[in-house]
Amino acid sequence: MLALGALVPIGFVLQAAIAMGWDELSALVFRPKVGELLVNTVSLVVIGVPASAVLGVGGAWLVERTALPGRRLFAVAFAAPLAIPAFVASYGWASAVPSISGLWGGVLVAVTAYFPLVYLPALAAIRGLDPGLEESARSLGMGSVAVFFRVVLPQLRLAVLGGGLVVALHLLAEYGAFAFLRFDTFTTAIVVAYQATFAGPNAAALGLVLLLLCFALLTVESLARGNARYARVGGGSPHPPVRLPLGRLAPLAVFGAVCVVAASTIVPLASVVRWLFRADATDLGALASATGQTLALSLAGAVCAIAVALAFAWLSVRYPGRLSRLLEGAAFLTSSLPAIIVALALVATTLAFAPGLYQTAFTVIAAYVVIFLPRALVPLRAGLAQVPESLEEAARSLGIAPLLARLRVTVPLLVPAVCAGGALVALGAANELTATLLLAPTGTRTVATSFWSAASSLDYPTAAPYAIVLVLLSCPAVALMFAHATGRNLR
Amino acid sequence: MTLSLSGLSKSFGTTRVLRDVTLEVPEGTRIALVGSSGSGKSTLLRLIAGFERPDAGTIALGDRELAGPRSTVPAHRRGIGYVAQDGALFPHLSVARNIAFGMPRGARHVARVHELMELASLDQTLADRMPHELSGGQQQRVALARALTQQPKVILLDEPFSALDTGLRAQTRQAVVDMLERSGVTAMLVTHDRDEALSFGQQVGVLAGGRLVQAGAPTGVFDAPIDVRVAEFLGDVMLVSARSAGTDAVDCAFGRLPVRHDRSGGAARVRAMVRPEQVRLAPAVDGGNATVVSIRSTGAGADLTLRFGGGSFPAEATHRVPLHAAARFQAGCQVQITVDGGVVLYPRHE
Amino acid sequence: MLPRSRLALLAPVTIGALLLAGCTAVGSGAEDSSTSDDALVVYNAQHEELTAEWADAFTEQTGIEVVLRNGDDSELGNQLVQEGSASKADVFLTENSPAMSLVEQAGLLAPVDEATLALVPEQYRPVSGEWTGIAARSTVLVYNPELISEAELPASLLDLAEPEWKGRWGAAPAKADFQAIVSAVVETQGEHGAREWLEGMATNATEYRNNIVTMKAVNAGEVPVGIIYHYYWYRDQDRAAEDSGNTKLHYFGNQDPGAFVSVSGGGVLKNAPHADEAQQFLAFINGEQGQKILGDGYSFEYPVASGVAAKSELPPLDGLNAPAIDPSTLNGPKVIELMTEAGLL
Repeated sequence: MLALGALVPIGFVLQAAIAMGWDELSALVFRPKVGELLVNTVSLVVIGVPASAVLGVGGAWLVERTALPGRRLFAVAFAAPLAIPAFVASYGWASAVPSISGLWGGVLVAVTAYFPLVYLPALAAIRGLDPGLEESARSLGMGSVAVFFRVVLPQLRLAVLGGGLVVALHLLAEYGAFAFLRFDTFTTAIVVAYQATFAGPNAAALGLVLLLLCFALLTVESLARGNARYARVGGGSPHPPVRLPLGRLAPLAVFGAVCVVAASTIVPLASVVRWLFRADATDLGALASATGQTLALSLAGAVCAIAVALAFAWLSVRYPGRLSRLLEGAAFLTSSLPAIIVALALVATTLAFAPGLYQTAFTVIAAYVVIFLPRALVPLRAGLAQVPESLEEAARSLGIAPLLARLRVTVPLLVPAVCAGGALVALGAANELTATLLLAPTGTRTVATSFWSAASSLDYPTAAPYAIVLVLLSCPAVALMFAHATGRNLR
Repeated sequence: MTLSLSGLSKSFGTTRVLRDVTLEVPEGTRIALVGSSGSGKSTLLRLIAGFERPDAGTIALGDRELAGPRSTVPAHRRGIGYVAQDGALFPHLSVARNIAFGMPRGARHVARVHELMELASLDQTLADRMPHELSGGQQQRVALARALTQQPKVILLDEPFSALDTGLRAQTRQAVVDMLERSGVTAMLVTHDRDEALSFGQQVGVLAGGRLVQAGAPTGVFDAPIDVRVAEFLGDVMLVSARSAGTDAVDCAFGRLPVRHDRSGGAARVRAMVRPEQVRLAPAVDGGNATVVSIRSTGAGADLTLRFGGGSFPAEATHRVPLHAAARFQAGCQVQITVDGGVVLYPRHE
Repeated sequence: MLPRSRLALLAPVTIGALLLAGCTAVGSGAEDSSTSDDALVVYNAQHEELTAEWADAFTEQTGIEVVLRNGDDSELGNQLVQEGSASKADVFLTENSPAMSLVEQAGLLAPVDEATLALVPEQYRPVSGEWTGIAARSTVLVYNPELISEAELPASLLDLAEPEWKGRWGAAPAKADFQAIVSAVVETQGEHGAREWLEGMATNATEYRNNIVTMKAVNAGEVPVGIIYHYYWYRDQDRAAEDSGNTKLHYFGNQDPGAFVSVSGGGVLKNAPHADEAQQFLAFINGEQGQKILGDGYSFEYPVASGVAAKSELPPLDGLNAPAIDPSTLNGPKVIELMTEAGLL
């Protein structure tokens, strides 16, 4: 049942493509515009993902393994961009430097907005590494650089691959940030096609190409990952690592770190604050109501996504097999589609099968679940893999029935993972634009949609308070994620 | 109530992990199962605990069949306690709440927890600690106390001491044995440590390749191992070729020795097994029956490589002597070997 | 960073709060939608601020609540077609007529009350009477005199497809506004002529996200000229001219496709749950009070009904010398198809 939900958008795209017939489809797919979009989108991923990986791993290594001055501050600052939705960062940049546009503008904004998605897992992985390994490498005569590349980096492979995949999928599905920068990707083109024709053939054809791109990406990642699984990394360090003194390079490292923080956080925020001071009287009632609706929808979305993800995670950890891998793959594939495709699919599905659910909160929440499922799934799966089955067995040997044993032992131990996953989903849902606009009951206004409608007509002062609220709403979720990444397990 | 296993077999995929295991553990006794890793010993415990189902055979406790071709009692209704290798303490619960975990809701009395902690020689101040704040030995004792809350008929211990340091290990083992003794529960321990296996209880069983090769009283099994593998598993051995010299004696590199046990099954070619503890070595005054080929210091003593026998039974073996005696030997010197007690005979396959 | 034990303690509290919030949220969400069952649902492709002004005044006058679902012409038009009879919409308001024709052709509109139609001159409404014009806007060329002199400006919109205009003009082809202008090109030049012009545009034009961004780009000197609707410029001039201070407007006139006047439409859905209130709302918009909101308010669009005059800053609507085009003949899907072929979409 749940798996079917995840398949609805894929089925929608395929069905639309088949209904179109080969001639129309090929006419829509094999044309110069699509080639241009393909070049743009692929360049974005090819430049953006390695850049995010370098910033993410470099940042994590600097704050965790070197004597970087102010590293505690930087450790938090590198995660902070997560609290600034990419389209808010883009708005900040676009209003500060109006000429910023195109591929390099897109790369700048996307990388500074998304590199924390590599940074956090890399940070968690480095903290989990046994410093003893690095020490033994050093005792074998390796220099710091060699140790980093030959010992630290290989052990971060899974974390970096996982984070890189998430960044890549975000790049493919991002709309708002690139729309501000006049940079066309498949997703922005799909939204344009949707605005011109709603669920027209063009949107479906572009969606099909994007689906193939996502599929290729997932395949590449799975090949690169090999047989390794995203299991827990080490049991934590038995003794604190010796930090590498940076010496004469310290000012350079600090300068680099400051640049990253400036580009990712300070510029967008400063620009938002500047507009805030130029805002006329803000309609506080509208702001409060939008905040309330955003909280309600995103929290409900988080709770539902966690519930569904628990079932998926259970299946994949306790009963690994072809079926569970297939389901997971479908969930990842679907979530990498732009929200607009998911929304259109849900519109078609609810209209055809359950008109009563059309334009209700239920459909929006269902869309959030479909779009953000992997965000909940990844930490839950890792969390579940960390709870040894022997604990449940111990409980059963103490006379507790299996289901009750699960409830009393495994579930409490999953709480940190649930919080981290829930925070990620809530964060995504609060910042979601297109699906919310399309599916929510008429009259619904979230902070993100209000921001978007003001910012789209370049009414920056009106948009600014909404941007600030979005950032403030995101902070607790990011704090929770940061705590999850840096905190050890309960044990 | 006697724990009876009969004809138990279990495969995972194409790997046969247990083959036709039959064993009886009388009420209130303790048995240690020893075997190398992969011998199937943990699987046997998991079958008895109810975490896995046997492919064939039955498990019964007294008259009650726990697992068999017709029925399976789920783990939580078996009344069998289980202590995992790492203790499997619930990391989110304090010591007291771990121990109280399986008690019925109404009966989670502080008094009972205290009583069990006392039984496990755990200081009462530990009650509010979290598991990660305990030492390994303490964790194991909490796990055992927790398993005892159910007043199980049988307790299964899966290598509970393997993660502990050597000193702590002996101490914890003794504490656990005392505790089991006091509670009078039937216990089955799985281990790969020979000392642990031999000292644990009334019986020891040796598992190899999924089969229960030999079971019985520790002294009996140690004294008369059924084959060389079992002999080597339970202690160090010296093996030499031998030839029968009448019904109760053999000729071998040590000379003519009496036969304590004949496990050769009447084979034509035999080997004689001697435990190093039986061997005594002295510098030869004149002649002697062996030559010291080389000496290697072990710090606490020395390992002597000896060549002896000659003629029809040439043999070479290493023997360890304590430090105070080591100075009496040099490479090349002649020594006299004497063997107390007799040998155990095994067939020799070439 | 929190110590582990504290984090562990915090976690159940957080999850509890989350669950509680989620439940109440869904609960209150349901309440919201139940109150909005009584409200008039307007699928609004017009500027949100304008329709909100209309809605507030209408609610004040009649006590009828109005909720807006905002979007683009084609997006909402196509959505209505897909929803069909399941739609919860009562009223559809557009900025341009093609999307309205699309809904009309799907047979989803109810005839507008005669009395409302009577308020609107015939050239601003279709013969069918299934919808009515509610406002009008004129195509203009905005230019930056620092980059281009008045003498160099094109005589016709069609000239912009010529090679000398490569990289020298901007527009927002993804938006329904511009697509309506293209429909005028199709109407006046025929399909073949329009296709050629669009191909020229695909080579020449810089694509912007919408009219405001286009105007801002001209103002900033990114391109010399842009094709937009008139009211964006007047609105900005009326405020602080931040985005238009360096620019001037040029009207093509001469019945050129570039002088196209686009009619914004209003219609009532056949399956409208609140059909009477929907007719009342249309009557209100086209009545004197509704049209005065156009004539006096911030909008700067042209009123088309009840004889209300436009803002004095605007050149009179009937003096623009626009090409005579029946709004109901404009073919939205054909335009989308041609623009997609040309690679503009």
